[in-house]
Amino acid sequence: MHWFTTVELAQYDGRNGAPAYIAYAGTVYDATHSFLWQGGRHQVLHAAGVDLTGSLDQAPHGADLLARLPVIGRLRERMDNG
Amino acid sequence: MARVAREMVERAGINVDTLLELLVKNASAELTTFYYYTILRVNLIGLEGEGIKEIAETARIEDRNHFEALVPRIYELGGQLPADMKEFHDVSACPPASLPKNPTDVKAMLTVLVEAERCAVRGYTQICNMTAGKDHRTYDLSLAILNEEIEHESWFSEFLGEGPSGHYLRRGETSPFVRKFLE
Repeated sequence: MHWFTTVELAQYDGRNGAPAYIAYAGTVYDATHSFLWQGGRHQVLHAAGVDLTGSLDQAPHGADLLARLPVIGRLRERMDNG
Repeated sequence: MARVAREMVERAGINVDTLLELLVKNASAELTTFYYYTILRVNLIGLEGEGIKEIAETARIEDRNHFEALVPRIYELGGQLPADMKEFHDVSACPPASLPKNPTDVKAMLTVLVEAERCAVRGYTQICNMTAGKDHRTYDLSLAILNEEIEHESWFSEFLGEGPSGHYLRRGETSPFVRKFLE
C-alpha cells in the first residue's frame, strides 16, 4: 500500500493525461477510468488530486459510491492527524 | 440571452457559468439516456422483459422531455449546447446506460436503468440545492425534473425487489411535473 502526501497526491489531478486520484477519510482512490471523473473533474465542482473528505458532506451522495473505485493507497497527513 | 434574468441569478450569489455547465451536463445526460433507453427498451423482450418495456418507454420519453425543458433555460442564462454530438455524449453528467452484455438478463437491465435514474436524482438534487432561494426559475424546473426522476427510480427499484414504490404507472400523458415547461 502506497502512502501519499498531499503534495504527491496533487500531481494526480487527471489533467494532461495524468491519473486522477482522490482522497477521502485517509484512503486514496483511483478515479482515472471513471466516466464521472473525466479530465480530473467531477460534476463541475470537484477536482482530482485533493483530499475531498470535507467536500462529501455537501455532495448528493455518500462514501458508498467511492467504494466502487479502486483503492490505490493511503493519505499520510490525514492518518497523522488522526 | 435574458440579460436581466441572468443578472438576477448572479446578484443572488450564484456562479452562473458553473450552473450553466451543470445544466448542460445534465441536459446531455437526458439526451444520451433517451438514446440508450431506446436500445434497452427494444431489448426488453420475453415474459420478464415485456413487463418492464412500457415503464422503460415512459422513462425514455420523460427523459427526452427533460432535455427539451432544460434547453430554453440554458439559453436564457447565456449558455449554449455543444455543437458536436460526440462532445455532448462525453460531457454527460451520467455514465452511458449501455446495454448489458446479456440483454436477456432482466435484472442486469433493471440495474442499468435504476443506476441511470439514481445518477439523475443526485444531479438535480445538487442543482436544487445550489439554486434554492436564489434562482427561482432554474429551481422550479430542476425540482419538476427531480420529481419525475425520483418516480423513475422508484419504479425500477420496485421491479428489482427493493420494496414498493408507492407509485402507479403513468395513466395517459407523460411528464406530469415537467409538462408546464413544455407548453
